[in-house]
Amino acid sequence: MRPFEYIRPGAVGEASQILAERGDGAFLIGGGSAAVVMLRLGVVRPECVVDLGGVAGLRGIEANGALRIGALTPIRALELDGGARSRWGLLAEAASQVANVRVRNAATVGGAVAYGEPQTDTPTALTALGASVRAASAKGERAVPIGEFYLGPYETVLAPGEIVVGVDVPEPPPHTGGAHLKFTIGSPENKPVANASALVTLDPASGKCAGARAAMGAAGPTPVAAQAAEGLLGEFPSPERIAEVAAAAAEEADPMEDLRGPVWHKRRVLKVLVERALLCATQRAQA
Amino acid sequence: MPTLEAADKAAGRVAYMGDLVIPGMAHAKIVRSPLPHARIVAIDAEAARALPGVVCVLTRDEVRADPDMEEIYGFVYRDAPLVAIDKARHQGDIVAVVVAEDAATAEEAAELVDVDYEELPAVMNVREALADGAPRVHEEFFPIAPELRPQAGTNICHHATIGCGDIARGFAEADFVYEDEFSAPPVQHCALDLHAVVAQVEDGQITVWTNCQSPFPLGRELERMFKMPARVIVPYVGGGFGSKSRDRLECVITAAAKLAGRPVRCVLSQEETFMTFIRPAYANRIQTGVKRDGTIVARRNTFYVDVGGYAISGARSANNTLKVATGPYRIPHAEVNCYAVYTNKPPSSPYRGLPTTQHTMAYEAQLDRIARDLGMDRLEIRRKNLVRDGDTHVTGDYLRSAHARECMEKAAAAIGWDAPLPASPDGKTLRGRGVSCTIKYTLTPARQMSENGAEIALGQDGVFEIRIGTVNIGQGSDTVMAQIAGDALGVGLDALRVVHSDTARVPVDSSTTASRSTYHMGRAVVEAAGVLKGRILEAAAQLLERGADSLALTSEGVEPEDGGGDGGGVSYAELARRVGSPLAAQGECIVGGTYDAPDGKTYPIASTFWTFASCAAEVEVDAETGQARIVQAAAAATTGTAINPRSIETQLEGGVGQELGPTLFEQMTWDESGQLLNAALLDYPLPTMETMPRYEPRYVDHPFEGGPFGAKGMGEVGAVVVPGAVLNAVYDATGVLFHEMPLLPHKILEALDAKSAAAQ
Repeated sequence: MRPFEYIRPGAVGEASQILAERGDGAFLIGGGSAAVVMLRLGVVRPECVVDLGGVAGLRGIEANGALRIGALTPIRALELDGGARSRWGLLAEAASQVANVRVRNAATVGGAVAYGEPQTDTPTALTALGASVRAASAKGERAVPIGEFYLGPYETVLAPGEIVVGVDVPEPPPHTGGAHLKFTIGSPENKPVANASALVTLDPASGKCAGARAAMGAAGPTPVAAQAAEGLLGEFPSPERIAEVAAAAAEEADPMEDLRGPVWHKRRVLKVLVERALLCATQRAQA
Repeated sequence: MPTLEAADKAAGRVAYMGDLVIPGMAHAKIVRSPLPHARIVAIDAEAARALPGVVCVLTRDEVRADPDMEEIYGFVYRDAPLVAIDKARHQGDIVAVVVAEDAATAEEAAELVDVDYEELPAVMNVREALADGAPRVHEEFFPIAPELRPQAGTNICHHATIGCGDIARGFAEADFVYEDEFSAPPVQHCALDLHAVVAQVEDGQITVWTNCQSPFPLGRELERMFKMPARVIVPYVGGGFGSKSRDRLECVITAAAKLAGRPVRCVLSQEETFMTFIRPAYANRIQTGVKRDGTIVARRNTFYVDVGGYAISGARSANNTLKVATGPYRIPHAEVNCYAVYTNKPPSSPYRGLPTTQHTMAYEAQLDRIARDLGMDRLEIRRKNLVRDGDTHVTGDYLRSAHARECMEKAAAAIGWDAPLPASPDGKTLRGRGVSCTIKYTLTPARQMSENGAEIALGQDGVFEIRIGTVNIGQGSDTVMAQIAGDALGVGLDALRVVHSDTARVPVDSSTTASRSTYHMGRAVVEAAGVLKGRILEAAAQLLERGADSLALTSEGVEPEDGGGDGGGVSYAELARRVGSPLAAQGECIVGGTYDAPDGKTYPIASTFWTFASCAAEVEVDAETGQARIVQAAAAATTGTAINPRSIETQLEGGVGQELGPTLFEQMTWDESGQLLNAALLDYPLPTMETMPRYEPRYVDHPFEGGPFGAKGMGEVGAVVVPGAVLNAVYDATGVLFHEMPLLPHKILEALDAKSAAAQ
């Protein structure tokens, strides 16, 4: 690893200013679970590392209408948060499946979002939940719907000097169930072949579907919100219909061939994951 | 019992190579070839040398300029230059070494070394390497071990054949002949402890600290290379699995230290280990002739091992497995052909029994195919053919302690072989079980090359010091040797300490490989203890003015046998002080030669002992994704007397856990231009606790005649039996017999698709 200057600013504005001034020479780290590996492998060779860890007020979860998650909140804290588990169960479940407990203790929600790796679990779940990303700079703060946040793999709409400071997740309506599933080769620490999140809302009177969303990870350059899920609206979410919807969702995916397998297999896996996630979400909505 | 060092290791008090600091040491970074095969036109290291903090740069020019430095090393197969002389033979081949005051400067300077490469056509696998007119990886051959036979004008660095009976007659007598081809790609050992060396050349003496598995052969090679005495010191090692069995770093870092004029440290990154030693690609063709009743009458196994760019390690380990390539079966007519082939991959080394593992995968998977075809039970066909005591092996050896069948029965019973598998009403979960059996040799050189010594000395502090060359690589060797010495002397573990693997302080030992230490070093320790015990009794008898035969060794000291502990004896500390001259004794274990069997005949000894093992596994295959999951597994091995059952169980468990990776998902992958795509753990999946199935260790501990207290070795076989059992379990679950590993989900799903398409 090349030596670098280490800066630990105390405020977002200060961090933002350093990033803006130093440009490509600066590298922002949160929990460091991805960043340290990149530094060690020489994927990035910054002049200075800006550690967000000293910035106050970026840690913590508030469930007050929406779920408001600070960027420096460890994935593990999201996994264990009582509010998240009761009303944003899909998100807590996705968090619980990230790598292993040691990584989850280090990795942060803001880091997982800002990194933009298409295989990561958290952005898929946030896409299904229709979250928005809060980004701040010296100029102020803005909220970006997660569907507009990603431009490509590891590429976001963040302007130079702009930092993810939090994520807001709207509360799903009553009678909603959610599920997140991933498929990895080998151990769960490995990058997934694919992952999928599903959210199903049922009309308790008719038992018909009042809302359905599905999202897929490692299914394209950015998280893919599957339009096909809306096909369940107003219908009974039977296993047969869910299978059809999942097959259509997999067609919306544009996975890439890589070390984790060929495109045809990833598409098959995505279909299965979406199907199983929708089935599980439906069962949870009924419960 | 837990190993002697377990508490210290758990508390972080044990020093590994990475912890070693030698005063004044500089830091080395290796400049590596980015191309798999390239002529080195020119090397410009001036910019690197000019960087502040750089001590020196070792290139072919510095090597050639030193008349007391040989160019080519390798103590099994001498074909590796210290740094590339004329060309680079694999991606990551060592082209230069930069030495600097600190590691970061060395790393920076290494990037400033400008090497002008002329790319040469590369041979990236055995098929390409054996093609007519294929580019040659080496123009000359340099085998050291006498059994190695290169084929002039080809890339075959070793070819050998063994056999028994009359193979043509055997196939003619068979009712059916089955032929299959199996293969497995390279993987890396991924030991936690990365390769590391500190070398010092001072006052005409080399001292090398390293985490290698063969300190004595390495020391001799250093002495030949640099024409001066060498001492090799190996601290605790955090795993090697064969990747550290031969030299790849020690000679070149010693050359750098000589040039630098001060100690030099080099610790590889995880990524560099993928370019250092790997488990080779393997392919074979296996033909088996059987009678209608399932009796095997003939088998031919022709196998190809891709040794990579240098045969320093891979050629001999491929040759050694000739002895076991037909399996633990009674086969009257057999033939084995081994081809070790140079390619432009990184050099290969053993890998926990390799390539016995791939042989076992092949003959066991084929045997399940035969059983299914003949309508026979899979255990029954094995019961019919497995070797028994007194059988003659393909090598001509007379087999003893051949409890192959007992291993199989124990492993199968441990996973509830006869219990019905859970049903899958929706047909989406396919379940099955599989078993595999193996036979493994240990390293058995010719008698005159046999080297296994031990020394035990009573220190002035009253503690017996056991001095052994065995490297403590995590297998628990110090503990087993202390247990053996304690039993042989008649003293407790508190009265013993172990000094290991320092060539200046312990007697010569050939290596810590091939499951050999418990047997070989154990016997040397027993012999040393026996001699020392006699000397101590004599010395105590003189001191106490009693007859030696009325005295006995206890944990406290030498006591009169009828004394009841109330005086009349002498403590070990007092005895050591009063005797003055050192009380010490050496023992050795000479192997090889011939065996006089109970049948009155004399048999050759191709392996000092044979280890038998079995694995039984139960899998679940997700029919929709192709994912195979091992639900439960059991491994059983013949251990002879179990000296430390806890170590045996963890060795077997570790072997199973490790080999699940290559069986299910691990593989090194190259693109079409010969670039390795996953030389980093980010993209190279490894098994973890999460992939471990429910697991039961079993062992078969009938004492082995000749072993120390009846023990023999078993360090590798837990791994060796895994792929065969898993392939067979997946065959049972899906009806598809796979001919290669790893069993990646998309391969399984592809096969299931093809099967259902064929059924329609």
